[in-house]
Amino acid sequence: MIKLEQVTKKYGATVAVNGLSLEVNEGEVCVLIGPSGCGKTTTLRMINRLIEPTSGRILVNGKDTSQVKPEQLRRSIGYAIQSVGLFPHLTVATNIATVPELLHWDKTRIARRVEELLTLVGLSPAEYAGKYPSQLSGGEAQRIGVARALAADPPILLMDEPFGAVDPLTRERLQAQFVAIQQELKKTVILVTHDLDEAIRLADRIAIMAAGKLVQYDTPETTLSRPASKFVHDFVGSDRALKRLSRISVESFIKSAPTVTINASIKQAEAAIGSRRSAWVVDDKGQLLGWIDRTDLSQVSSISEGMVTLESKDIALWQNATLREALSRMLGQGFKSIPVVDEDTKLIGEVTLGDVEAATAEAEE
Amino acid sequence: MMVRQWVTGNSVAVTGSCLGLLSLPFGWLTLKASRLTAGTSLRLWDAFSWGVAAAIIVLWLLCLALSLAERDKRHAITIGITANAILILTFIFAGPAANRLTATGAEFARVSLSAGVWVTVAAVYMLVFAARQSLPDYRVWQNLISWTGLAAVVILLFTGWLNNISVVQEFLGRESRFQQELVKHIFLFGGSVIAGTIIGIPLGIWAARNRRAERPIFYFANITQTIPSLALFGLLIAPLSALSFAFPVLREFGIRGVGAAPALIALIIYSLLPIVRNTFVGLRQLDPAVIDAGLGMGMSRPQVFRRLEVPLAAPLVLEGVRTASVQAVGLTAVAALIGAGGLGWFVFQGLGQAAPDLIILGAIPIIVLALFVDAVMRTIVRVSTPKGLATGTS
Repeated sequence: MIKLEQVTKKYGATVAVNGLSLEVNEGEVCVLIGPSGCGKTTTLRMINRLIEPTSGRILVNGKDTSQVKPEQLRRSIGYAIQSVGLFPHLTVATNIATVPELLHWDKTRIARRVEELLTLVGLSPAEYAGKYPSQLSGGEAQRIGVARALAADPPILLMDEPFGAVDPLTRERLQAQFVAIQQELKKTVILVTHDLDEAIRLADRIAIMAAGKLVQYDTPETTLSRPASKFVHDFVGSDRALKRLSRISVESFIKSAPTVTINASIKQAEAAIGSRRSAWVVDDKGQLLGWIDRTDLSQVSSISEGMVTLESKDIALWQNATLREALSRMLGQGFKSIPVVDEDTKLIGEVTLGDVEAATAEAEE
Repeated sequence: MMVRQWVTGNSVAVTGSCLGLLSLPFGWLTLKASRLTAGTSLRLWDAFSWGVAAAIIVLWLLCLALSLAERDKRHAITIGITANAILILTFIFAGPAANRLTATGAEFARVSLSAGVWVTVAAVYMLVFAARQSLPDYRVWQNLISWTGLAAVVILLFTGWLNNISVVQEFLGRESRFQQELVKHIFLFGGSVIAGTIIGIPLGIWAARNRRAERPIFYFANITQTIPSLALFGLLIAPLSALSFAFPVLREFGIRGVGAAPALIALIIYSLLPIVRNTFVGLRQLDPAVIDAGLGMGMSRPQVFRRLEVPLAAPLVLEGVRTASVQAVGLTAVAALIGAGGLGWFVFQGLGQAAPDLIILGAIPIIVLALFVDAVMRTIVRVSTPKGLATGTS
């Protein structure tokens, strides 16, 4: 889908990108990563010709980009950047409509598309379409930026640290959302980041760059287990086993958990717990409320009396969280199992420490 | 504690109220035997009556009390209304007072407004300004407070209520000349600002785009700004008269060493700096990410200019035009010295004849014109500011 052939960019005597060759397949997420000044952003910007290469060829769909008018090329490639660059004088809806308008779509089609995209990035169209960028939080602005990049449904998406300028919690949520959206849309994505965890989590393949050169181009698993050089080895760090956990979604490790509803009788609760130490307590809609110990059951007259209430948003995991997050919750809370909830905070199961250990061992081989 | 109160009150309004009270011991009207002789000064209570004097004193004390206590919107509005009332009261009673005094005096007797009235006017507008500042979110009240007093005085002028005040008599004696010079004044400052805008905006864009152009452009614009206006007017006389002698055809277009041509040129040069500077800053302060995003999504360079740079820089550019306009209204007054005409003509005539009323006949309309132009330009700036950029949208 995208092919770079011996691409070089020089600024006077300094070589920003040096004979880079890289191929990204259709529907793949390629993450460019490396220390600052390694030429990753320059590489990205050469693909949509915001920067012209000094030598070499860039092919998109087999077509040499230097033969296409830059504006035309860029309108077919989504572009999202760290500082977002939303147009402050235009509403969210008009911002998203930028490329469709440049392509002269008709009004009703644009309006429909804007609504679709706002829903896709999880923002209510009724609430957000008329807002101005100055009224958005950092995370909302980033999501609008991504929606804007996707507006004309381009097959290719270039993203320069799209989740860079937000707090860690928001970033995690945006990354999870990106994974979900990408599963649905299957775009060809080239994403620049300096955050290795982000690269491991999002990439199908990671391109590690140093001093304008490509030093390794592999799947995250291979990059972690078989670094091609000492540089890569040092770059990925010594906590590779831990990093690998951010590749693995908790979804396939969710087990059914012993559960009692808040107004069940003590007898029913004992039956549900069986020989285990405790059970999760949910309300009649299935939303997580807390947990109760088997040993406490004999001393209380109702579940609500013996229940330990917990704030599910602090402890429970989202179903598309990673094992790494699961492990950090367990260590943080001192729990051996962590409940997993869906978007409506309904309990869907739990993940146990044993499973995380097993997954680590498996990945280690 | 008292000091704290002063700080929490409105210090501008307090100063204005004190100034208003200070005007009381000055002479309010001057009775002269003729236009050019020295006259006798009349105190507030002699000029009007004890009743009117007492009313004005009470109103000033009310303003002072409110300014010291100012806490909310209602206080500010009351201060603004009271200040306007003082102004209107002063002029309503000045008319009949002048009628009475001229009737009793000699044949050519003149009654002119003196220090007390002018200090009162200054104090009133300090309060108006202070009240406006306290009411940022009430545009209707702001405008009412700013313009009511002035409108009332204008109405009094037109109805002939103030016809026996000497300034008005100077006006009545030169009515057609006044209209002529007013039109000339508007033509001179308006023409120079329009031309300055047409030249200044491209220069500003050029400076913002091209680092090598930036320095010489600002060097020129800054240097000219430091030349005193009189000197610049004078400097242009020699080259322009030489030019008009070399090419007599130019004289048919009014290009001579003196008159409108050098005045226009000098005024255009003065209006350049604010416009060039604001255009430059307007473009340079744009978030580079916005331009990058625009280009990256496939806007052509002209589209980026039209869709992003123009709307985002417009408020600042127009703010520059506003500065240039207000400045030009004042500078045009000086242009009268090289025969360009305009309201400055009355000022310099008055200076030459030692006739203060004639000076005032020129000066007051210039001030009013400047305020009016400022208000109009502020409205234009506000209307042209995109909604997303206006403060207080969130």
